[in-house]
Amino acid sequence: MPSERWLPRGFLILLLAVLALAAWQWRHGAPLSANLMELVPGESPDALELSAEQRMQEPLNREMLVLVGSADRQQAIATARQLGEVWQASGLFEKVQWNLQADLPALRQQLLRGRLAMLAEADRTQLIQHPDAFIQQRVQSLFDPFTGFSLVPSQDDWLGLTGRIQNSQPARGSVQLDIGSGALIADADGKSWVLLRARTLGNAFDMQLPLQVAGLLEQSRQQAASHDVQLLAASGLLYAASGQQQASREITWVGGGATLGILLLLLLAFRRWRVLLAFVPVLVGMLFGAVACVAWFGSMHVMTLVLGSSLIGVAVDYPLHYLSKSWSLKPWRSWPALRLTLPGLSLSLATSCIGYLALAFTPFPALTQIAIFSAAGLVGAYLSAVCLLPALLKGVELRPAQWPLSIAQTLLDIREALLRKIPTPALLALLLAFCAAGLWQLTSKNDIRQWVGAPPQLMAEAQAIARITGYQPTSQFFLVRADNQQQLLERQAALSERLDQLVNMGKLQGYLALNQLVNQPGAQQQLRAALDQLPHHWQPLLELGVSEAALQNELAQLQALPEQQIDDALSGPLAEPWRPLWLGNNPEGVAAMVSLQGLNNASLLRVQAQDLPGVQLVDRLGDLNRVFAATQISAAELKLLSCVLIVLLLIAPFGFRGALRIVALPLLAALCSLASLGWLGQPLTLFSLFGLLLVTAISVDYAILMREQIGGAAVSLLGTLLAALTTWLSFGLLAVSSTPAVSNFGLSVSLGLAFSFILAPWAGKQEHKPC
Amino acid sequence: MSPKSCSSELAREMSGRFKKLAATGFVLMFLCSSAQAFDLQQLSTQLARPQVIHGDFIQEKHLRALPKPLISTGTFVLAKDHGLLWQLKTPLQQDYRITAQGIARRNASEWQMLPGKSAGAEQNRLFLAVLQGDSSGLQRDFELQLQGEASHWQLTLTPRSVLLKQIFTRINIDGGELVQRIELQETQGDSTLLKLQNSVSNQPLSDAEQHDFAQ
Repeated sequence: MPSERWLPRGFLILLLAVLALAAWQWRHGAPLSANLMELVPGESPDALELSAEQRMQEPLNREMLVLVGSADRQQAIATARQLGEVWQASGLFEKVQWNLQADLPALRQQLLRGRLAMLAEADRTQLIQHPDAFIQQRVQSLFDPFTGFSLVPSQDDWLGLTGRIQNSQPARGSVQLDIGSGALIADADGKSWVLLRARTLGNAFDMQLPLQVAGLLEQSRQQAASHDVQLLAASGLLYAASGQQQASREITWVGGGATLGILLLLLLAFRRWRVLLAFVPVLVGMLFGAVACVAWFGSMHVMTLVLGSSLIGVAVDYPLHYLSKSWSLKPWRSWPALRLTLPGLSLSLATSCIGYLALAFTPFPALTQIAIFSAAGLVGAYLSAVCLLPALLKGVELRPAQWPLSIAQTLLDIREALLRKIPTPALLALLLAFCAAGLWQLTSKNDIRQWVGAPPQLMAEAQAIARITGYQPTSQFFLVRADNQQQLLERQAALSERLDQLVNMGKLQGYLALNQLVNQPGAQQQLRAALDQLPHHWQPLLELGVSEAALQNELAQLQALPEQQIDDALSGPLAEPWRPLWLGNNPEGVAAMVSLQGLNNASLLRVQAQDLPGVQLVDRLGDLNRVFAATQISAAELKLLSCVLIVLLLIAPFGFRGALRIVALPLLAALCSLASLGWLGQPLTLFSLFGLLLVTAISVDYAILMREQIGGAAVSLLGTLLAALTTWLSFGLLAVSSTPAVSNFGLSVSLGLAFSFILAPWAGKQEHKPC
Repeated sequence: MSPKSCSSELAREMSGRFKKLAATGFVLMFLCSSAQAFDLQQLSTQLARPQVIHGDFIQEKHLRALPKPLISTGTFVLAKDHGLLWQLKTPLQQDYRITAQGIARRNASEWQMLPGKSAGAEQNRLFLAVLQGDSSGLQRDFELQLQGEASHWQLTLTPRSVLLKQIFTRINIDGGELVQRIELQETQGDSTLLKLQNSVSNQPLSDAEQHDFAQ
């Protein structure tokens, strides 16, 4: 036949074109991504919120915090110094900082400029309401040998405003300055811990960087250990590195395990070396999937690769469809066998694609990627199985082993025996009872943390660092919007009042807000006005010998200080911690963030923002978890929709009743899997639900195979068994993944496949005596 | 997870800690009451000897913009196992206490820890190191230079680090049989002179003093 000639050639041309496209896509290295945030719904309600989120996340993905700990303080400092030098020289970091080299002149200047704008509320109130006490305290501080030091010399600040500003800076954490070395040191667990901060050149989503940084850290760890120095490190980069290592390990295990298992199965069943060529469609499928995914998204996520490696088991089903005909078709020839099974193959491709593509309509980019990857992969596998493989297998005479067939026959006999004792309706009732009881026990659980298989060691180190330093940043923050800066500072002050209460109650460790750094213009005005009364109260200062001219001069300087705006206040070195909080001007006005430390009750925060205009709590993780729950419902709807589509598709070949029956079986299988999850005490997650969505699509195949009964029930069951086994080999292996989401997915697909196989024979029962 | 508060941290720290270091400087010298050799090692071993020292002080604060120094006087008690009581009598009355827990100030009859300084573990450690006769703590941050004889000697502390050099030029401590003078020279031109007089090391802590340390 001519098609036997041009089909392989045409396909080879297509394959070459795809290969060329792949080569072009990989020209700059692997287009892989490990950014978890790319996998979750990204559309934030507005641009401002999005940019605020990015601002808050940036340090997580670029900064590494290291504690260098030793019982010998000097050893810890020396190691930190050495580490700083080595890391700086590594070329991976933009900045490695282990000690403070403060610019004192700049600090002094900022304090002098900010005398009115930065004075804290308590000091302001005292100056305005109790000027006598204010002056008295100043006199006292001039005599005080222990607390009187100020960065600014007395003659530049007789009123002592800068000293008060220094003292009112928010204290954070339990890190102390070691004045000799300039190191920041915390003491805990009988050790001195020197704080070292490193900022990388790239971010955690660069594919190479996290691994390099993790490697360097490991090396440094070992070197430090030889001096009895312990390193603790925390960074988003380390999570990314471990995620990448884990992904490649799992791809190797899942992909390798499935491949080996499938090849072995092929050899055992068909006893011909050339039958291993059936793996060609699998390779082609992976290639198509990867190319489509990169073409669509620009890059491919490592999680897609892990989940996508399960495609191996589905792709190999196409060649299996006609290879398994060798048990009934004698002699077996590749092209005739293909022609015989082509309608079934095509239907199977269509139903599987519908199942996978249903995933694409969820709001999760993660699932869209998997859907695109898998659908394209299946098309590739189908095309190569239909166009190329028969040509490759031409002239092969298959004489398969008889033992698989006898197993299938035995299984059918057992089923018959069972049905004679317990008729189908009774079995169905039992099954439904099993389902009902299982569903009763099923719990639902959705958390973004299931997506991250965070190694316990990383978690433990991050917790130790939080405990030792007292820095406990939280992912939630407040976004405050206003028409102008005055209003913004007012709104932040209103929020601060509420947060202060939480701090006093011990519910919150602390927070950072711009109104701590700069007073509202109104407050600055008020303070300036209050200065006029000071000459009536400053007699004690005159008595010390301070000349009246000097005081008058200082007063004149203070009154001439320009009103400080947020930008002015942020320019000095003291403003460093606040700088990222300012979002600047936007079309609607201005906006800033309030960051939080050491939160132990997230729901309290939501209440704080209530009835404060312009104040909004941004809780990305909380929001995501809510999206997860909402998506579960839409996933269930999608599942039903995909079933309707499949029924419509199957009406033509099988009639309405047949189509309904074919679809009812996978649905029942899915229900059984859900119940099994309940019995096993496993939670229902978004991922297990998607797994079941997929099972419905795949197992429609088994029902079709069984219903068609080409070559008899035993041969059909054998074909189904082989297909289920290969699919199970790849999905079942996902269950061992250390990422909870992936393993949950693997488990629910495995369960679904098992039930689909068990239920499949009921698809064909009505074929010969339709009701 | 990023402590960004470098500069504010620094500003806060400086407001108290550097002065405290200076305090540590003279504490060292209280303890050098019977220095017989001019070897720091030997000086150190003698630091721990006296259990309690009582004495008077005169503090002269020389601010370069003031024609005359700010002078204050009072008494002090240094107890090896407890810490230092610093009792300012004129021109105003104020009691201070330095212990392992930090610096406290007496308000009415209550001792109140000074905020932000209470956790000054670093300086307190240094202070205690000195109390226990360990000069290595000081040697880390300062160059120590000892001159003169047992009856009249001078110790000069020159800061080692860039950070400290921006605060102090040096600290001079003079002593004879007992410590007599401590002078802190600040980089910005101000200086503080502490004259210690009538120091005695043969009186135990009074009940009131013990009570003050115990609180």
